[in-house]
Amino acid sequence: MNPEEICYLSAGELSWLIQKREISPVEIVKAHLNRIESLEPILNSFITLLADQAMEAARQAEKEIQAGRYRGPLHGIPLGLKDLFYTKGIRTTSGSKIFDTFIPNVDGTVVTKLKEAGTLLLGKLNMHPFAYGPTGENQEYGHMHNPWNPELITGGSSGGSGSAAASGQSTLTMGSDTGGSVRIPAALCGLVGLKPTYGRVSRYGLTPLAWSQDHVGPMARSVEDCALAMNAIAGYDPNDPTSMDAPVPDYSRTLTGEIRGLRIGVPKEYFEIPIDSRVKEQFWKAMGRLGELGAVISEVSWPMFRDSMAIASTIQMSEATAYHSDLIKAHGPRIYPPVRLRLEAGFFISAIDYIQAQRARALFYHQSLRLFEKVDLLAGPTVPVTAFKIGLDKVKVGQANVGAISLLTQYTRPFNLNGFPAITLPCGFSDDGLPIGLQLAGRPFEEEMVLRLAHAYEASTDWHLRRPRIQ
Amino acid sequence: MREMTKKFWLSKETFLKIAEASGLNTKDPHMEELYTYLEKVLPSLKSFEEIDLTHLEPSMPLLSIKEHPDES
Repeated sequence: MNPEEICYLSAGELSWLIQKREISPVEIVKAHLNRIESLEPILNSFITLLADQAMEAARQAEKEIQAGRYRGPLHGIPLGLKDLFYTKGIRTTSGSKIFDTFIPNVDGTVVTKLKEAGTLLLGKLNMHPFAYGPTGENQEYGHMHNPWNPELITGGSSGGSGSAAASGQSTLTMGSDTGGSVRIPAALCGLVGLKPTYGRVSRYGLTPLAWSQDHVGPMARSVEDCALAMNAIAGYDPNDPTSMDAPVPDYSRTLTGEIRGLRIGVPKEYFEIPIDSRVKEQFWKAMGRLGELGAVISEVSWPMFRDSMAIASTIQMSEATAYHSDLIKAHGPRIYPPVRLRLEAGFFISAIDYIQAQRARALFYHQSLRLFEKVDLLAGPTVPVTAFKIGLDKVKVGQANVGAISLLTQYTRPFNLNGFPAITLPCGFSDDGLPIGLQLAGRPFEEEMVLRLAHAYEASTDWHLRRPRIQ
Repeated sequence: MREMTKKFWLSKETFLKIAEASGLNTKDPHMEELYTYLEKVLPSLKSFEEIDLTHLEPSMPLLSIKEHPDES
């Protein structure tokens, strides 16, 4: 098998080959390290590459597997972590040179769980500084570049996680998502990315952006791999005060392909705001396919959808500034200027504004729940445009020039506000060869249904099999 | 976002007072840029003010009833 093929195998496929002893973790890691070496000058996915540690871990995994101590389907699988997951003894920058030499003395819970599952950490991935931006730009460590066209953004904030998984630099990557930071780069890079229900996956050992909207989620090239990652990371954690003590299913077993009769609602409000006609077209084609598979598609109304942007932003800005207030005062001029502005702006949101936003959030949550009395899932585009040039503040959509931040997050942010699970997966490509994402969302703690629908759609298309030609 | 036509409510003077009270360096020329940014961003956050919040209590993340280890 040639090294590029190895790098584009899924975790499920690699684990099958590992169990049959047809490939070893050492071969897998070598292939990935070679690919990283050749692509990093173009993509800049990593902040810290851990080549020696990864090779050592691969040799250890190989010994364990040969000795009959196979841990499960993630044993020997390459992993990249967004550089805000605390990793014991390994620097964790949160995407800022202010923390260039910060070395945590603990692993985050998700890191511990992924280690226990036997994954092999290749390195820490580039990100928008402090996860405070949806484009994947970073002046200090260098911007992230989209594998489908390196002149374009990856999306963010988990941009390195997006480019690494899409380019075959890593089989699995992990991101965090406060306004769409897993789903946006996954959509713009042609990946599957899952934001689980708030409380489903521990946030312990993650640099916060906004506590009440931060989520951790996997990014991969297939729904099955996201399910495998969820099997490893989901579950109660006493170290996270918002973690829910609820039973965790085997997510892989839910991928049955059976979606006949599932009711899918498409909020009409999604199409009353800016959206590229090519994205809209691909989305409706995807709905047509789901209908052919037996799902029942209907239009629904989500009146507070548009209000949710302002509510979520008010809460996010207040919480982000509260967490980073000492940093802003001590190191303001050293913070990436657009992020510095957003962080400082939080000082001008009053306590009353924050509380009013939390009151409105309660209403939004209940309205969202009521919506799910009529349907089982919601569907919509993940991002209203395809990837655009690095450095743009505004993007032309039809006749309108729209701010990049609000545009990129307009469909993802509502699910950070209500905490409901949402996944993105590829549902087509634009004429210029750029991926388009489909977002599916479910009721709280019903990740199984979200994954099942996503998997059934994925199995009926070949969008997820396309590979970028990186030049 | 809904269009906001109201005059920006935060005067420069009040802006500087809040900035100072927040520990920001008000002598920094960057303050001009921040004020311009606020003129653009803060009005867009007011769009949910029209929602009737009567009888609503703030939504807070569900906290585990188990004792947090740092407090034990």
